Amino acid sequence: MESAGVVAAFWILSATTVAGALLVLLSRNLLHALVFLVLSFLGTAGLFLTLSADFLAVAQVLIYAGAISVLIVFAIMLTPLASRDNASSLYAAPGVLLGAAIAALVAFTALDVGWPELEGAALDARGFGSTVARIGELLLGQYVLAFEVASVLLLFALIGAIVLVREDEPAPAGAEGGGGEQGRAP
Amino acid sequence: MTGEVATGEVQPGVGEPYILNIGPQHPSTHGVFRLRVAMDGERIVDMDMIVGYLHRSMEKLAEERTYTQNIPFTDRADYLAAMSGNLGLCLAAERLAGVEVPGRATVLRVIFAELQRIASHAMGNGTLVSDAGAWQTPLLYMFRERERILDLFEMTCGARLTTNYMRIGGVAFDPPPEFFPKLESLLDDLPARVDEYADLLVDNEIFLARTRGVGVISAADAINGSLTGPQLRGSGVPWDLRKAEPYCGYDRYDFEIPVGRQGDVYDRFMVRMEEVRQSTRIIRQALAALPGGPHKTEVPLALRPEPGEVYGRVEGPRGEVGFYLVSDGGPAPYRFHLRAPSLINLSLLKKLAVGASLPDAVVTLGSLDIVVGEIDR
Amino acid sequence: MSAVPDFASPGVDGAADERAARPSPLAALRGLGLGRLLMLGGALLVVGAANAAIGYVIVDGRLEGEWYDLRDLGLAVGRLRTELDAEFDPAVSYWVTAILGAAGILVFIGGVLLLGSWIERRLLARFQIRRGPNRVGPFGLLQPLADAIKLMQKEVLMPRGADRLLYVIPPLAVFIPAVLAWGPVPWAPNMTYLDINVGVLYVIAVSSLGVLALFMAGWASNNHYALLGAMRTVAMMVSYEIPISLALLSVVLMTGTLQLSEIVAWQEEHRLWLGLLLPVALVTFFFSSTAEINRTPNDIAEAESEIVAGYHTEYSGMKAGLFMAVELGNAVVVGALVATLFLGGWSLFGLETWVPPYLVLGAKTGAIYFVLVWLRGTLPRFRLDQLMAFAWKFLIPISIANVAVVAVEASIFARLDVAAIVPLAAFTAINLALAAAVVRFALPASGGPRGAPPALRRPVLTTAVGGLRAAQRMRVSP
Repeated sequence: MESAGVVAAFWILSATTVAGALLVLLSRNLLHALVFLVLSFLGTAGLFLTLSADFLAVAQVLIYAGAISVLIVFAIMLTPLASRDNASSLYAAPGVLLGAAIAALVAFTALDVGWPELEGAALDARGFGSTVARIGELLLGQYVLAFEVASVLLLFALIGAIVLVREDEPAPAGAEGGGGEQGRAP
Repeated sequence: MTGEVATGEVQPGVGEPYILNIGPQHPSTHGVFRLRVAMDGERIVDMDMIVGYLHRSMEKLAEERTYTQNIPFTDRADYLAAMSGNLGLCLAAERLAGVEVPGRATVLRVIFAELQRIASHAMGNGTLVSDAGAWQTPLLYMFRERERILDLFEMTCGARLTTNYMRIGGVAFDPPPEFFPKLESLLDDLPARVDEYADLLVDNEIFLARTRGVGVISAADAINGSLTGPQLRGSGVPWDLRKAEPYCGYDRYDFEIPVGRQGDVYDRFMVRMEEVRQSTRIIRQALAALPGGPHKTEVPLALRPEPGEVYGRVEGPRGEVGFYLVSDGGPAPYRFHLRAPSLINLSLLKKLAVGASLPDAVVTLGSLDIVVGEIDR
Repeated sequence: MSAVPDFASPGVDGAADERAARPSPLAALRGLGLGRLLMLGGALLVVGAANAAIGYVIVDGRLEGEWYDLRDLGLAVGRLRTELDAEFDPAVSYWVTAILGAAGILVFIGGVLLLGSWIERRLLARFQIRRGPNRVGPFGLLQPLADAIKLMQKEVLMPRGADRLLYVIPPLAVFIPAVLAWGPVPWAPNMTYLDINVGVLYVIAVSSLGVLALFMAGWASNNHYALLGAMRTVAMMVSYEIPISLALLSVVLMTGTLQLSEIVAWQEEHRLWLGLLLPVALVTFFFSSTAEINRTPNDIAEAESEIVAGYHTEYSGMKAGLFMAVELGNAVVVGALVATLFLGGWSLFGLETWVPPYLVLGAKTGAIYFVLVWLRGTLPRFRLDQLMAFAWKFLIPISIANVAVVAVEASIFARLDVAAIVPLAAFTAINLALAAAVVRFALPASGGPRGAPPALRRPVLTTAVGGLRAAQRMRVSP
């Protein structure tokens, strides 16, 4: 059904993604962790590609590997305690709980959805189609409410960041840059 | 917009300043000069200026040599303006020993000192613009004329940089015949060339943004800091030894001194540009007035001035080049002191740079036009 | 007027005086010498004649149906694919053509890196009244090769205290995106290696990948200069990616596609360069790109006179060489993108049927690259805070306004039922007028010309002498 190339790509990308994620947890150095996180992001983008979701793949690289990682850099560099490494902390327990909950949610979704398998002409028709237009229509049509709520949430985050930083000094670039990045997403 | 460094600035390790060693080997320290800078992000919070890497003990060595033997030292103090250094020492020694200088030598001295001023300002302004980030182009443009001036030096005295040209009682050599046509053609070209630099830089938005309002020295600060030369005149103080205390017959020449309006880096740049034009004027007049006759009076090789002291000073490209000589009647000076304008001009850098951003400090340092050979001696 | 008579000797010929080094870069042609000029002209003639011959053969239709077409190497690859498909599994042709294309791009990039650095150095030398590299090989053409060999032989040092992992990754991690960015560039109607329908997004995404690598390089070097350079890079890229995205957004709005080949096709169909239709977007994109790729006047991330070499201060040998190569490669990529997005890509008003379209694109790319080198040879550098203020306070608001204007125009364009030429001509006029208004009014208001008019910036000329009081007097009555 699928060519050997796609299967091989899937396994390699999955291994990269999972290994990257694990290394994020295991590495003690925050910036090393960031590099592995980007590796994981890139693996995910590759997985999107094998699913013919070109827009998602590119957006994943652009927003996560490109922009979010830079924001994390800013966060690390602007945090006074950044020299503290990735040591164990009290937040481990809630973190594990949260992670488990998300994993359960994803697993439930994966198992619950009946994945339709397309063959032949239908598969060709769906190939690298114009997913951008379709996603745009869905976002501004069927899911417009969720989309707007997300925008408002991001706006709140933006204003909140400015308010938080305002107190002592004019806002440093990190907050401003971050706000800009998120603000343009909606 | 100028002056403040705020927007978009990221500070590694918030709050705690970190130390940056600028130099002794750095593209914009103009020689082996070191700045130890405490920085908060891009802003300079404290600064140590560390000099002495080029110290050669000139002033002490000078006490072991005759006055004539000391002339080469002045080449190597301010090596970008050797003629001015030569001239300063010769004038001081002549006054100490009461030596008369023939008219031809005096006019030749003016010609060479002014040529040296043009060459030095070409270098000073060129490196200033390089410090502002123009990748060498203005510097090399300015080097065209400097190159021709150095050619003139070479054909006259055999050296391009360390000229050792002036002598007590005159100048070492008369310029060869081919010197004068070459000088004429240089003088014909110079005004157009200066306009060309001006086209490139004077109204350049980026250059204005980098230099206007940066490194401002008020007139009072400039005077209190003992600044001299374009650094002083850039701040609006009309003080030029060629006018204030004319030597070598400068009172006979018709020229003006340019004076800046607000004392920033841009003004110092512009003052130097204008001084190049004025020097051209002076050289033209000097050429027209060049008398015949000997270029040197014979003085004994081991000159023994009467015991006494003298302070002779000339207006070099960087300011007042002063020589304090004490004679005990022997052939060598008892005390030899060089008032190096670069050292004194540099002393204001800390005041200008602390609180400014690193790029501004670099441009400010460039506008002070230091020569480390003269600072360390 | 001079005293020459005293010394004039009849043998001296004033005219033989080498009348100064060359007066201006414009006169550099004279310096090339007649012989070289003739050689250059001859070479151009031969190439042109060959091209005309090829064009004649192609347009004449004599090669129609043959297995290759010099105008469009994509057709040749397509033909190869059908031939392979006839004999083997489809996967074989897929892999073969993919590898062929990738090899083609790599060879091209190699050529660009070797030739580009020679061109840049020679051009800069011309701008600076120098000669440039002219010793290794004919015209110094082998100089880049010699430099590369030298760099590879050099010892690669790692500073003490450097972060080993993060120090080793960056040279590679910046090189890969620089290569990847060439993927979706359309060279000819059928000659695009990666003709994906999110091409514009892909370009932004790939270019944003380099940022982190540059930061890593600066951070891992354990050097304050490098860290300053890294911080500047990150701050600048985060700021300038927004105007770039907005400029590209207006292109996408107007053409209605994210596919680079479609954008070129749109420009060809309407016989209109997007740079004319969207001048603000063009200028924004070009200026922001110079910030992204660290070129003058925005090369603050490696400002030599301030922070030595910025993020790659501590790199030596071929590692430093890779950083420099990437810088050069990125400049050429920017040239190709500007040409593709704003200057009609491979199309040139019909000329592309006579000359292979990839040569047209190459020429346009070269022209943009020339402008970049020209800027480098001319302009001083901005300060970090000035660049940031310019991005956030001027470029981004202007870009947002531009996107709004273009959105309105695009929706009018889509709904209007007249010949495309009418609304497009109107929009071009409107947008050019708006751009002129921005330059005339908004730009000066953004902290533009500093204060005094030119006459008041000139120094005062005086013959007076005095101290502080004289200075105060002069200030009062200049």
